[in-house]
Amino acid sequence: MSFLETKPGVPLLESDNLVRHYDVNRGFGKPNATVKALDGVSFTLEAQKTLAVVGESGCGKSTLGRQLTLIEQPSAGELKINGNTVGNLSDKEAKLFRRTVQMIFQNPYGSLNPRKKVGQILAEPVLLNMDQLGRKEREERVRETMAKVGLRPEFYQRYPHMFSGGQRQRIAIARALILEPKVIVADEPVSALDVSVQAQVLNLMMDLQEEMNVAYVFISHDLSVVRHIADDVMVMYLGRVAEKGPTEEIFAKPLHPYTRALLASAPKIDPAHRVKAEPLTGELPSPINPPSGCAFHKRCPFATEECAKVRPELRTFEGREVACHRVEEIA
Amino acid sequence: MALLEVKNLTVEFGSEDKPFRAVDSVSYSVDRGEVLGIVGESGSGKSVSSLAVMGLIDFPGRVTADALTFDGQDLLGMPAKRRREITGKDIAMIFQDPMSALNPCFTVEAQIMEALKVHEGGTKKQRRERTLELLNQVGIPDPKSRMTAYPHQLSGGMSQRIVIAMAIACKPRLLIADEPTTALDVTIQAQIIDLLLKLQEDSDMGLILITHDLALVSEAANRIQVMYAGQLFESGPADSIFAAPRHPYTQALLEALPERSEGHDRLRTIPGVVPGQYDRPTGCLLAPRCRYANESCITARPEVRDFNGRDVRCFYPLNDQGQPTGLTADMATGENV
Repeated sequence: MSFLETKPGVPLLESDNLVRHYDVNRGFGKPNATVKALDGVSFTLEAQKTLAVVGESGCGKSTLGRQLTLIEQPSAGELKINGNTVGNLSDKEAKLFRRTVQMIFQNPYGSLNPRKKVGQILAEPVLLNMDQLGRKEREERVRETMAKVGLRPEFYQRYPHMFSGGQRQRIAIARALILEPKVIVADEPVSALDVSVQAQVLNLMMDLQEEMNVAYVFISHDLSVVRHIADDVMVMYLGRVAEKGPTEEIFAKPLHPYTRALLASAPKIDPAHRVKAEPLTGELPSPINPPSGCAFHKRCPFATEECAKVRPELRTFEGREVACHRVEEIA
Repeated sequence: MALLEVKNLTVEFGSEDKPFRAVDSVSYSVDRGEVLGIVGESGSGKSVSSLAVMGLIDFPGRVTADALTFDGQDLLGMPAKRRREITGKDIAMIFQDPMSALNPCFTVEAQIMEALKVHEGGTKKQRRERTLELLNQVGIPDPKSRMTAYPHQLSGGMSQRIVIAMAIACKPRLLIADEPTTALDVTIQAQIIDLLLKLQEDSDMGLILITHDLALVSEAANRIQVMYAGQLFESGPADSIFAAPRHPYTQALLEALPERSEGHDRLRTIPGVVPGQYDRPTGCLLAPRCRYANESCITARPEVRDFNGRDVRCFYPLNDQGQPTGLTADMATGENV
């Protein structure tokens, strides 16, 4: 299919002002409220790169993942693959798109069917998407992929409950990889795992990226993991992008006050790495009734009257995109 | 004398002849005004050991210890009624998930007042006043209106503040916080930890902070215990234990952190997983995953011993350069090679 062909100079995946609103029923006699879970998010993802999406719970990072994998249709905005708008694709093409953009879910205890054996779990996507393959070839493909993610061949006949969290996440990774996708959306893939196992899974993901040339959209709240794995970082707050740029630059010199607060709140082992800063007061505001102006102004130590009135748009500053009125003064 | 003294605490489940040891002779003590951090991966026994201190291990679990004393009183030997007077009042606990630690059927006020009624008595008016005071103390904005709120109306951070208010309601002398911030976001985590440390300092409490987050304990605790598969592997002061780990497990855990491998392409991993109920090795529990393990590690189980002022359960504790010592003849002396 033509839309899967990469064109030089055109990014693999592009999101243009993606919006997702949900209607919420507030009870009898009251008008429905709108939750702006995703309110105009744009980014580009190049082949074989990793884009990390970070933010607190409720900032819309998982909603973004659901739009990218077509689990849900965005309310507005465009998603493009190799320059082709996904919304214009025919059903047949959309099926092919889903095959190209796969997902790894957060909780490996909930994402694997307990009644199916590992072999069946992994064979299902092949069965649905590659019907030209016979039974033998399918099984061969499953075994190949299992070997790739470090699952022993005898696991083929086992059920998910027989595995530890790290092994289950390997099964989930294998399931996402088996169709040879170009993009994998990983929604908090290591947050349910222990430190030692987390390192194994992260290494595996990086190895597979080199081997199979996939690009990752890595959704996470753990900044140290993001720093290790990502090429670019996008910091989100209440459905909008606060700051976006290359990982090293953002960690070396965060520009947006929210990015700074996030980095300062994360505990560090090394006393030299610790940033002394006042902890952020307050909590994430309700997305049903977001504050006027900049959504962050009520928690921001630099907020002025302008911040309470006018919503800052993303603009380029020092090679990065930041949504803050006072970025020049703060930097 | 230490506030809480635990000597060789063992918690067993399963049959008498083939028990599963969730906690295997763990010893520690906590003083007034001290923060003890207990870290370990899941299955390391860190939660079970604190539940045992609280007396929350039910049949068929078996708790044994050479000594389990709180302020000089033997917790295991005393009558159950007397023990209930101590737990919840002098020793309080904060649980991991604030959403499920609160009863969804009752208001915040009713739940905090219940703890006060059982342990302190007083009139309803006094209890209500104290509840308001507590909500103020834990930093709940607009506490008057939150008194009558139900748990589902509160955010995670707010619920955890309520749980903390409940725990400190009777002015405990020892507070056990079991993964108090795991369910929360980083910015809220920082707020909650600051709150806990402030309360601990103000009232000179002892605090046991149980977590899997090494960075968190290294910032918050005075002393740190590293646990693995039910055993104590290493314990020592917070400022030195992560600067110069003596146990290969502590060293490997630190190296697996992304923070420690800046500039490296790949993280250093610990191969394998924490042994479960049925696959515990006969020798050192870490032996199959340890990069320094040799014959004696596989056959014999090391005991906790003192090494350069640190308690370490290893035959070959590490020196300042992170190299195992005693692999040659001078093993008995414990001197650095």
